[in-house]
Amino acid sequence: MGSSELVLSVTDFVAVFNQTLEYAYPAVTVVGELANFRISKNRWVYFDLKDENASVKFFGTVYQLPGPLEDGLMVQVSGVPRLHPLYGFSITVQNIQPVGEGSLKRAAALLQTKLEAEGLFDDSRKRPVPYPPKRLGLITSGESAAYHDFVKIMQERWGGVDIQLADVQVQGEVAPGQVIAALNYFNMHEEPVDAIVITRGGGSAEDLAAFSTEQVTRAVAASRIPTIVAIGHEVDLSLAELAADQRASTPSNAAQLLVPDKQHVVKQLHATRTSLGTALQRSVSKGQTSVRMAAQSLSEAVKHYLATLQRDLALRQQILAALNPAMALNRGYAIVLQNGKSVRSVKQLKTGDTIDITLHDGTVRAEIT
Amino acid sequence: MTKNIDYKALSAELDDVLEKLQSGDLDVDEAVKAYERSMEISKQLETYLQEAENKVIKVKASWEAKGKQ
Repeated sequence: MGSSELVLSVTDFVAVFNQTLEYAYPAVTVVGELANFRISKNRWVYFDLKDENASVKFFGTVYQLPGPLEDGLMVQVSGVPRLHPLYGFSITVQNIQPVGEGSLKRAAALLQTKLEAEGLFDDSRKRPVPYPPKRLGLITSGESAAYHDFVKIMQERWGGVDIQLADVQVQGEVAPGQVIAALNYFNMHEEPVDAIVITRGGGSAEDLAAFSTEQVTRAVAASRIPTIVAIGHEVDLSLAELAADQRASTPSNAAQLLVPDKQHVVKQLHATRTSLGTALQRSVSKGQTSVRMAAQSLSEAVKHYLATLQRDLALRQQILAALNPAMALNRGYAIVLQNGKSVRSVKQLKTGDTIDITLHDGTVRAEIT
Repeated sequence: MTKNIDYKALSAELDDVLEKLQSGDLDVDEAVKAYERSMEISKQLETYLQEAENKVIKVKASWEAKGKQ
């Protein structure tokens, strides 16, 4: 038998074919219009990509979807081509993104409707962002103008803020994963930041697409730490902004919302000092008045007391005056002493005794006869 | 150093002292003390505002997505 033709079993053919395919096309990226899109058991995703001349089958899981999709959208899909032993050829999806302004808008609208219905954008979910924060998580590209604007305005307005920069890509296929990883990092860090800022400058709908993906929007909504999202653009808001606790129009605007302007605060401080001085003066003069009043009533009390003392003294002086023996002598009375002792009765005396008689102008000695 | 002041706490204390002083309920001793304290705080706050710089630290971590899903 001389046939060199290789004859394979069906199973072997599938295996060899897949090996060859894997070698030749480890991954492919295809752009086309979405058709026959369906989700099975909330998990498996089946669809076709087509153009005018061809149609190819794709297979994937809902976890790879950027959000709700529908037939007619232009999408770009990366995946691995594979021949299934039973179901034939398909491309296993690794990444799928809408492309083109129209499709991006349509996909964003579908996602917005879905997340709105879940209440992700409700005002009741919004938390206040600490003002001013001491520690900040900043998720942006460290090379970008957005980063420099934000840091510059922060510096002009305020100081002492510890800004932790998570330097991520803000567009392209890797952007959503990096933004989510950075959000997780700040949410799980043992030294938590007070707020997380996610920002980038403006760009085309495609440039900004990362911030309207379902994964990023959900991660922003799920952040335990309050978020400010500022994606510079003209008209449409990204979904991440709708899910944030606060949104800002530009990176600079985010800085304005986060911290007060120190020039203004310094002015207020000066005004406060003036009012402090006034308040102190009022306190002091109130004190002075009460001291004056106390002194006045004290001096009146003292005067009154002194007057009482004087009256009392005068009275006693009168009494004393009345008791003064000299007064009696003036009126003609005499004091009789014998040997220095007062003589009150004639019975104390006998003939020959010597007595001293004091009159008002002197003393004489006499003998009893 | 002005670095480690707690701006929010000091600012709240200043408001508090100001309110007390303006209420006129303090006696002169207390008022003078409160005034001195509030001047001190207000100067600290001003120095902080004029001198404190923001600090940017680049987080050393890889932001590569950890697998799909």
